[in-house]
Amino acid sequence: MPDTIISTSALTKYYGKVLGVKDLDLEVVSGEVFGFLGPNGAGKTTTIRLLMGLLKPTAGSGSILGLDTWSQTVGVKRKVGYLPGDARLYRGMKGEEHIKYIAALNGDGEKTGLELAERLDLDISRRAGGYSRGMGQKLAIILALMKSPPVIIMDEPTNGLDPLTQRELYEILNERRNEGATILFSSHNLPEVERICDRVGIIRQGELVATERMEHLRAMRLRNVEIIFEGAMPADLGLESLPGVSEVERMGNRAQLKLRGDINPLLRLIARYDVADFSVSHASLEDVFIEFYELPEEKIEAEETPAVKPPSPPRPLRGGRK
Amino acid sequence: MNLSVLRKNLSDRWAGTLVYALGILGYILMISAVYPTFKKTLTAKSALLKNYPKGLLQLFGVKDINAASFNNYMTIELVGFIWIIIMAAFVIAWTRAMISGEIRDGTMELLLAQPVERWKVLVSEGVGLLAGIVTLTVVTVVGTFAFGSAFGAKVSYAGFAAFLPLGICVALAIAGYSLLFSALLDDPRRAVMASTGLTLFFYVLHFVSLYSKVVEKIDWFGVFHWYNPLPVLDGATVPVKSVLILLAFAAVGFGAAMVIFQRKDIK
Repeated sequence: MPDTIISTSALTKYYGKVLGVKDLDLEVVSGEVFGFLGPNGAGKTTTIRLLMGLLKPTAGSGSILGLDTWSQTVGVKRKVGYLPGDARLYRGMKGEEHIKYIAALNGDGEKTGLELAERLDLDISRRAGGYSRGMGQKLAIILALMKSPPVIIMDEPTNGLDPLTQRELYEILNERRNEGATILFSSHNLPEVERICDRVGIIRQGELVATERMEHLRAMRLRNVEIIFEGAMPADLGLESLPGVSEVERMGNRAQLKLRGDINPLLRLIARYDVADFSVSHASLEDVFIEFYELPEEKIEAEETPAVKPPSPPRPLRGGRK
Repeated sequence: MNLSVLRKNLSDRWAGTLVYALGILGYILMISAVYPTFKKTLTAKSALLKNYPKGLLQLFGVKDINAASFNNYMTIELVGFIWIIIMAAFVIAWTRAMISGEIRDGTMELLLAQPVERWKVLVSEGVGLLAGIVTLTVVTVVGTFAFGSAFGAKVSYAGFAAFLPLGICVALAIAGYSLLFSALLDDPRRAVMASTGLTLFFYVLHFVSLYSKVVEKIDWFGVFHWYNPLPVLDGATVPVKSVLILLAFAAVGFGAAMVIFQRKDIK
């Protein structure tokens, strides 16, 4: 069983009377890339700052590598590379001076930092005050990764990055994962989450509404199915009675429908007939994501019934769920 | 203490400190150059000064009129008022940057994402501030020695040497409560306004205390009650009690700021 690297237990943060996050139970295991999804104000940054010991929990606790994120925060920071959302830099310091300063504070990492700067094609001879947003983000990424930490926490890491640098960052993160690093990052960018995450947590109004493995999300997502029959469409087809089928439309010998969950019952049904063409297109992860936000909680719970769910994930990765 | 944070702090602030130092030196040069002329018209000025309200003179640190004295002259023109304004501006700007300014700029998040304790950050930056205060006070004293002597004034070297600890400690006392405001208030402008307001309040309180026995007792709780440079310059004796009380002001402010900063949310 993989070791739990990041965990929170009923982690709660209020800013005065305003809710930041509530009763957050989360687990991220060794070597996992965990994506934290949610719109602005949902509580992603609050959670990350709680994990980094920048905010004091109102209730509950968090731990990274067995260290309490508030009372043992210095120990946590020795092991964690952190990229803040909207990372700010010392405007009067050059890029290279930033790298040397952060290396001095960590006692390591200057060489890696300089290598990363070259790899991300960042001019570190310039002062940070003269950097564009993308250049500043590159430097902040370098500062987060330069000590080669076993745990990486990034708050919206691709903000402001051009597509080439985004791709380079994905490669770097993939390399770090292969070296055994555990990665948690928040994002609005669903394709990037889909591309590099093993598992995602979806946070809504300060509460974690679901954590799912990527393959589970992909399986849960809606398929748009089109079937063209040879000749006339059979009258007693019974598409509507299949589990997960909805919005069936018939036009001559053509049927269009939406399917969620297991596709095999549909395949078994249409295999009894002559089919001229059959096509399936996947709804995007974004659709799944939006659905989490639109559905009331009861419906989210209902959607997790065994009839709809694919087989259990290989690892016991489920975090808290409200 | 964290040496990397201290080095960066000094590196960031040396240019600003240099500007303050040059400003102080320029001002001392100007008033030292004026001193010979002032001395020539001494009689008329003494008579004029004697007609000033006693409280007003005490506001500038003068209790006994002896305009011929370079100490008296420098107390009125420099350490009794202008120097305090300069030092207050210096420490308020520095302490603003130490906590609330750095949080507002977002760089505190970057710094505290590294494995360094919060108290070490504050102590390191506090040591930097102390270095800045000592530098400016030494520059004041050395500048007075140099320019006073150059323009033929009878400089009380021992008196100004004794002023050093008093000057450093009054600036530290202002730094103490300014740092507390910097830790308490998220908005750096509010921290500056609160620090400036309290400094002004203490100064006015000290002025009013010269006329009121009741207010005089309240003035004991203000920093300027313990800052009386003229007897120090004349007597060339370090006012140990005042120095210790001003240090206590500084320690209480710094300690309270530390407690708040240790638990403060970095948003």
